This record gives sequence, C-alpha cells and structure tokens, in this order.
Amino acid sequence: MIRYKKDTDHIVTLTLDMSGRSVNVINHEIAAAFVPVIEHLKQEKAKGLLRGVILTSAKKSFLAGGDLEYLYQAKDPEDIFRFAEKLKGILRDLEWPGIPVVAAINGAALGTGFEVALACHHRIALDGPKVWLGFPEIQLGLIPGSGGIVRLMWLLGVEKGWRALSSGLRYTPHEALQAGLIDEVAVTQREMLEKAHAWLLQNREGCRPWDRSGESIPGGTARDHEVSAHIRMLAAQLASQTHNNYPALQAILNILAEGSKVDFDTASRIESRYYTSLLRSQACKNMIKAFWVDYNFIKQGGNRPKGFGKFRPRKVGVIGAGRMGSGIALACLNHGLSVVLKDVSKPIAERGREYVRQRLEEWAAADKKTAAEAEDMLSRIQTTESSQDFEECDLVIEAVFENRMVKQKVMREAEEFMDEYALFTSNTISIPITKLAEASLRPESYVGLHFFHPAEEVPLVEIVRGAKTSDETVARAFDFVRAIRKTPIVVKDDWGFFAARVQNTYILEGITMLQEGYPPALIENLGRQAGMPHGALALADSLGLNLVLRYENQAAEHYGSKYIQHPAVSVLKVMLEELQRPGQQKRAGFYNYSSDGARILWPGLSEHFPTTITDYKRQDIENRFLFAQVLEAVWCMQEKVIHSVAAANLGSIHGWGFPAFKGGVIQFIHDYGVDDFIAQCKLYQKAHGQRFRAPRELREIVGK
Amino acid sequence: MAEAYIFDALRTPRGKGNRNGLLYEVKPIGLLSTALAALLERNAIRPGEVEDAIIGCVTPIDDQGYNIAKAALLYAGWGTATTGMQINRYCASGLEAVNLAAMKVRSGWEQLVLAGGVESMSRVPVGSDGGPLMYDPEVMIKADFIPQGVAADLLATLEGFSREMLDAYALQSQQRANHAWDKGHFAPSIIPIYDRNGLLILDKDEHLYETTTPEGLAKLQPAFEALGKQGFEEIALQQYPTLERIHYRHTAGNSCRNVDGAALVLVGSKERGAALGLKPRAHIRAVATAGVNAVLMHTGAAHAARKALQMAGMEASDIDLWECNEAFAAVALHFQHDLGIDEAILNVNGGAIALGHPLGASGAILIGALLDEMERRDLATGLVALSTSGGMGVATVIERSVKNLA
Repeated sequence: MIRYKKDTDHIVTLTLDMSGRSVNVINHEIAAAFVPVIEHLKQEKAKGLLRGVILTSAKKSFLAGGDLEYLYQAKDPEDIFRFAEKLKGILRDLEWPGIPVVAAINGAALGTGFEVALACHHRIALDGPKVWLGFPEIQLGLIPGSGGIVRLMWLLGVEKGWRALSSGLRYTPHEALQAGLIDEVAVTQREMLEKAHAWLLQNREGCRPWDRSGESIPGGTARDHEVSAHIRMLAAQLASQTHNNYPALQAILNILAEGSKVDFDTASRIESRYYTSLLRSQACKNMIKAFWVDYNFIKQGGNRPKGFGKFRPRKVGVIGAGRMGSGIALACLNHGLSVVLKDVSKPIAERGREYVRQRLEEWAAADKKTAAEAEDMLSRIQTTESSQDFEECDLVIEAVFENRMVKQKVMREAEEFMDEYALFTSNTISIPITKLAEASLRPESYVGLHFFHPAEEVPLVEIVRGAKTSDETVARAFDFVRAIRKTPIVVKDDWGFFAARVQNTYILEGITMLQEGYPPALIENLGRQAGMPHGALALADSLGLNLVLRYENQAAEHYGSKYIQHPAVSVLKVMLEELQRPGQQKRAGFYNYSSDGARILWPGLSEHFPTTITDYKRQDIENRFLFAQVLEAVWCMQEKVIHSVAAANLGSIHGWGFPAFKGGVIQFIHDYGVDDFIAQCKLYQKAHGQRFRAPRELREIVGK
Repeated sequence: MAEAYIFDALRTPRGKGNRNGLLYEVKPIGLLSTALAALLERNAIRPGEVEDAIIGCVTPIDDQGYNIAKAALLYAGWGTATTGMQINRYCASGLEAVNLAAMKVRSGWEQLVLAGGVESMSRVPVGSDGGPLMYDPEVMIKADFIPQGVAADLLATLEGFSREMLDAYALQSQQRANHAWDKGHFAPSIIPIYDRNGLLILDKDEHLYETTTPEGLAKLQPAFEALGKQGFEEIALQQYPTLERIHYRHTAGNSCRNVDGAALVLVGSKERGAALGLKPRAHIRAVATAGVNAVLMHTGAAHAARKALQMAGMEASDIDLWECNEAFAAVALHFQHDLGIDEAILNVNGGAIALGHPLGASGAILIGALLDEMERRDLATGLVALSTSGGMGVATVIERSVKNLA
C-alpha cells in the first residue's frame, strides 16, 4: 500500500502503490494506512533520524481522485463529514511545520490526488504529455473536500481560485509552475527524485504560507471591498447562469467567500461542511450517475458490438465545407487526426479551413489552445475538390445538405477511391440511412454519424445503424467517435433518431403552452429555469419551424392510425402558412431578429395567441417541459431506438442539454421517484392529453 | 394615551456625496453635532431635557461607526444625561427614528426624544460596511437580493413607466426644488455648515442643477443595465417570469443623488413641551412599516402608506400633502399611481432626485420639509413614506390642528 524506504541522508521515500488497482485512489483503505506511517515519521523525527520525506507513486499516475463508488453511495452526513475531516487531518499532519515533505509528482494528479500534492511543502512534477494537475471534479458536480479549495485559494487568491475550480481547469506541469501551484518541473523521473532530494538537504523545515504569521491570501479576502464586490458579481452571474440548480458551483463560491475571512483550519472545516451537504444532494448523485456510472458504461463499450479489435483512425475525409463539415473537421483535428476536406471546388473547400482558422484564433485568445497547437492543427488539414484525395482516409464523413440524390452522388464518388476497409458515414438528420445505403457499393460499411451543431463543441454523436450496416462497422464508428473524445450512442435508423426526436417534444410542449394562452416570456423563462439551455420558442426558431413540423409529420407517418395529433401542430401551421414566420433564418419566427443577432419576442404573438392565463403553477410548467422529454425517451427505449439507460441519460445531457443536475432523461424518473412519476403522468394525461401517457413497461425499461 | 408632538425639525444643507463635494472635508459627526447645537439654540432648552436620541445611519462604520448618536452627543457638549443610539432601517432610517421616538412618547415612558439621521456618503460609501445581504454569495442568492437600481428598472418595466415619463418626473423635481429654494421655502429649517473658525462652508443644497433640460436628461445613458446584465436581471426574472426582459430606463438624471447631510426632529409629549415652552407644530397620528418582495423593494412605500392610513382610520383622499422619497423616479410615480394621488400635492418642493438622498437622514428631512410646507399652506394632514432595500417601507402620518394654530 505505502512503501517506506529510508536512505543514508535520513530521507524517507513513501511510494504509494495500492494493490489490485491500476491507479492509486483516495479511499478509506489508504487513509487508514497513512496513520501509522505518519506516527512512525514523527517518532523518527523526535529521535533525530529523519530529515525529510518524498511522496511519490509506483503507478503511471501520481494519485487519481477520490473513491467515486463511495461518494456515489455515501448518505450519512456524519460518515461523510468524519471521513473528509480524517483525510484533512492526515494531510494537515503531513504539512504541519516540522518534517519537510516533497511531492514527486510522477504522473497525473487530479482531484483528491492534487489535494494531496498541494498539502506537501514542495512540489516537483515530471514533465510529460499525460501529466495533468488540477481539480476537474466540478464536471461531475463534485468539489474538492480535502482542503483543496482552501489551499488553492491561499496559493492563487479568491478570483483565480474560483476560475480554476469552477471551470475544472487542468494544468500541464509548466502551466502549474507558472501559476505557482508547483515549485519545479523535472524532465526525467531520476531528475525529479534528485531535485526532491536536493531540496530536502537544503530545507530542514517546511512551513506553508497559512502557517506563517504575517502571510495573507494573495489579492485579499472577502473582507476587502474589491474582493467582496467581485464575489457579489460572481454570485449574480452564477445564479443567472445556473438558476440555482448546481449546488457544487455555489458551494465553491461560498467556501471561498467564507473561508477567506477565517483562519486556514476553520476554513477547512467550513469546506468539509459544504462538501458533506453537497454529497448528500440529489443533484450531486445524479451527476455522478451520469458522468461517471453512465459515462463509464459507454466508454467501456456498453453498446459497442463485441468481438472486434480497436479501430484507430488516422486520416478522415469530410465532404462539405459548410458549418457542419468544418466543425467536424475541427473536432477531428483537435484530437490528433488528419483531415481531407472536400467540396465542389477548392475555393469553397478553403472556406472550411478559414472557419477552422477563425475558431482556433478564438480558442487561442481564450487560452484554450497555444499558438503551436493551433499551427499544428492547421497543418493537418488539406482541402480539395477531388474525391481521389480520400484514397488514404480511414473513414469519410459526408456532411452535405439534406438531399438524398446529392448525398448518394458524393458517396458513390468517394467510394470509388476509398479502400475496402474504410468506412463511409453520413451526417444526415432526417433521411434514413437504409435508404441512402441503397446506392452504396458496400452498404455493410455504411453508417450514419449524426453530429450536432456546432460539431466542434457538442459532445454527442449518434451512430445510426442502417439495415445492412455490419456490427463491425458500428464498432469502428464507435471507436472513431471515442477517438475524437465524443460520446457515441448507437441509435435505430428511425425518424429523428434519438436526440432530435426527444428534443422536439420540449419545443412542441412550449408551443402548446402558447396555444393554451400562457405568456410567451413565461414559457421561455421557465424552460430555462427548469434547466434547459434555451427557451422552447427560441429553440424552435433556431432549428426552423419547418424542421420542427417535419419531425412531427414523420411521427404521424410512423404511428399511422395510432397517431394523435400534437396540439402544437396547428400553431406551427399558422406560423408557417398564414403568418410566414419560419424561424431565425428568415429573422421572423416566434421572435423578431435584428441584424446584430438580438431578438425580442414577436409582438404579434399577443394578437394571434393571446395571453389568457395569468394564474399558473410554476412547478407544473417546468414539469411539463421535462416530463414530455422524459416520456419520449422512455418510448424510444421501448421501441429500441436507443439501447441503454446510460446512452439515453448521457445522450440527453450531451446532445441537447437536458439538465445535468437531473442526471439525464431516464435518471429524472428515479430522481422524481418512479411511483410519483407514474402518478403524475396520469394527472398530466388527464389534464393535457395522451402524450403524457406512460408506457406500461416503464418500470422495467428504466430499471433501478 | 399620550400623543406625540413634533416641536422642531431642522437639517443641514446637502453636499455632493463625493470627493469634490463641499462637505467631504467635514466629518459626519461634525454635521450631526452642528445640528445638535442648533436644536438647543432654536428651542432654548438645556441638553439634559432630552432623554434619548435615535439617529438613523445606513453605513454605520468608520467615521459613522460605533454608535455615532452617542458620540455626537458627547462631541457636541450635550453632557451625560441624554442617551443615544444608532439605528438602520436602510433608506427609511431617519423616518424610523422619528416613529420610534413617537412610540416612546406615546408609551408614556419618555417625554422628550430626539430623532434624526446622518450620512456622509462621500466619506463612507454605501456598501462599505459589507453585510451578508450585499456580499455573502449564499445569502444574497437565497434572498433574491438585487441592486436597487435594477429593482427600480424592474418596477418601471412592470408598471409601464416610459423613459419619457421618468425624465419628465425628474425635470419636475428639479424645477420644484429650484423654485422652493428661490422662494425661500427651505430657509426656516436649514442649518448652514461652518468651519471651526466660523467660516461658511455650505448653506444651500449643493446638488441643485438650475439648467436641467429635457434634452439633457434624454441624453443620459441607462445607469443600471450593465449591473442587470451581470446576472441580476435573470434573478429578477426568476421572480417575474412573465417578463421577457427588464427595460433599463433609470439614469443618473432620474435617480437620486449621493449626498452628505444630517437632520433632526424633536418629538415629545404635549405636557413636557408646555413645561419647556415648546410650541407643538403637529402630532404624529400613525406610523407603519411594511414588508414586500425584495426584488420589488420600491413598492414598500405605498404598502406602508396604506397601512399607516388604515391605522389612522383615514383614506388617501384625507391627506393634504405627501412626501415620497425620490430614490428613483419610478418609486414616486408608482406611489402616486398606486394611491391615486394628485401630482400637485406630492413632493411639491422636489426631492432626492434634485437635492440628493443622504440615506440615514432622508426620512427626518422629509418630515421637516412636509411640516414646513403644511404650515406655509396651512394644511392639516400630511404623509411621509420611504421604500427601503431588502423590501420594506416605512410611513408616517402627521396632523396639524389648523383651527387651533391659526
């Protein structure tokens, strides 16, 4: 567990090496192992037989994060608080003035692992591409709980500390050095240990800033007007962006504000108390479920056909240099692949490169990419007007406009030059893959890859399996999507696939409310307050009302005589046919759009859809928005459009921004309580219609 | 039950509440002690005769900290007998002080009480005392606490007050204030500020613009849009989701100004007044506080006014003259519309938009201004109301016996 080795200089090297695991994690076991070690070190020190300690790891990474299995299950507040305080106690023992401790960070130190490193007196990191330092746990809805927030605040100050913690910023060793989070960078393992040794020979005492009198938090505390004014602004921003739905972010801000005003140990205890209440929150559990349990299921190939070796694409062809094609190209470049971008002429294909260049400039300006990285990425894109350049591509992604003939034509041209192992994929939103594949020479190697706009940002890709698509092709498409670090979900070749079909129900519900006489602003505000990224009407405008209606028409076709017309359809028809307001593209939809992109709700709405409801229940409106989507997702599972709870949950969050604090479309039901959910559906079914009917098999479908 | 009478009300001129203001060099305790000295002199009473002094102050730290009421009594040479305390009901502190004094007198447990307020906004800017409602991220979010200016724009949006209406109101405030100064309406109650050598520093409200034009007002940029867009607008919309957005219509021109100043009101029983030869100018007929939604804090004045009227058994139409603190033009307009007041009898000598709002002192200033004007016009009833931060209002109904005093 912890290897102890002492050299002739009386320097002890503690090497963490948890048995039976590929990484060291911070759990009860390792915590227990630390206690006697520290006791022994203290005795050695008292005898004058200890000069200092080097803490390092036998694994590839230094220390991984906390024990998520435990965190996911933990319920009892006393247990959580005690464990947090126990870990804090160990780290505090380690850093208490006396025996100097050097962290020799030989690999990634993220989350709790980084907290341990921060508690050492001196930190030396080994430089390498996989060495990342920082606190990414906010992405799981978690916060550091072993003093990491307070130590980071003391090292960076309140403002920078907030930025690093709230964004889950991960540092390379050099960035960490520059930020003052580590003290040295070493090129080799040996150099790292030598530097650690040398530092210990020069430093007999280790004492952190917070244990030295006269030291203060850089930039001041929340007692200082500038800092408190900044915190106030952050609090307002946070409330407006998250609508108080994400307790982890709020907890970080509170800990910084409150913790900056008191001494280190009191601040640490405040951190433990917030940490405990956060871990008990349903939002936190839901996010661990989605981003850890469900994510791991997907990542480990839960829905990937078994028995096929890993596909490692290197060169990708993209047909169509519009926004979608360019975005896909950028997503590929961003993860080390080379791209051949083709359009009808070289100058048009060049527009795609220009898009990539512009986005890279923005990323560089926002410190998301270095100039060297941007340059490297641009060097890997080649533009062309000839399909011949696809010869060396491992797969080709077609992203031309929605026209079956055109899509089939470019496919045939490409297939002519592609080798027999290469995949051909189509980014269609509404033409069935099976139909498109009819024109293919190798329909078994033909698969749909549905990216979302903007493709370089949205983390979801739907893999659409056509009737003849082989399992191996699906597996390879899956591996490709993983290679560009996106979330692959395998979906049936059916109308709207999964994401667009479910998202559409949100839009239709909002439009229905307009019809019912709810004020349009209320529809938009409560949609966002429920946790959706956009109001339903704004989303309708941005997709275009024609597309919204087209999806619903496809549903009608699909269900045939069983179809019950959605009440929103008549509104869509009025908007499209009578009022000629098809959406944002024509600057006229539910909103009016000015040339600078600003929008206001179309004043004409009050004439055509007059507001008659002034007395409303906020909770019911928010529920209707979410229930509509949840039920559609359940139907998708029932109809085998999607094949796992994990894919549905993660697909909903990553695909169209279904509230992460609910854990995704299916977890929503567990969050709500399955019985309560079914009962509520019955009430809504009575009040609002058949679309709120829950399938009889709901319980089996959503599992436990 | 004993009635509470007002014997005197006075105030300092208001100086601009920034580094260039003429009163910036004067300590807030200096403003208050000047008023205290004047009060003794005008009423020919000895300090010990006043039992307690209640002083409103909204930012009671630093130069105004550690109970400035008692500090000022000691500094002004009032001796030891008069006790003093500082209170904070935000913008209505000065009126709350008057109301508390009236309650003390009506209870019969004290006979002569001094009320008032002081604020040096140039020395101690609002918010510099910190405070959880303003700066604790957990508290401000739980309490839906939004800045006053954004709340004023929310009110204007909800009420449909256009920029033109707000600017027209502001212009009228300026014109009325100028007129009142020209005609000497404020003169009886103004206590000029002199330096320690007897040299004059300020004897007139410094913030008065004589040249304000509608065009000038119309040119000013909205003052609270940036703040709202930082996130406070969204917090407000969480409370009022039927609004698409807040329209930002308040500017530096149609909002109150930061100023320095102090004011005092002497309150007591009829008997004690008679014994000391003090002339009762009016009695305090009813007082009230009211709590409202924090994001709609500026409706507090109207709510408190209704409550006070009810307490007094009166209708709005029974009030001859009104003062509603002009924190923002929308506050006064809302007050006027909500209570159905004729604009000719509301804030007749202008208000905080023209002359400034020295937070802790304003309520006491308004009592004095109302009383002076009621006497000048020989009117019987008046009402003062202020809205405050956090969603509160305070109101006071005063009454003169016209027949008796005529």
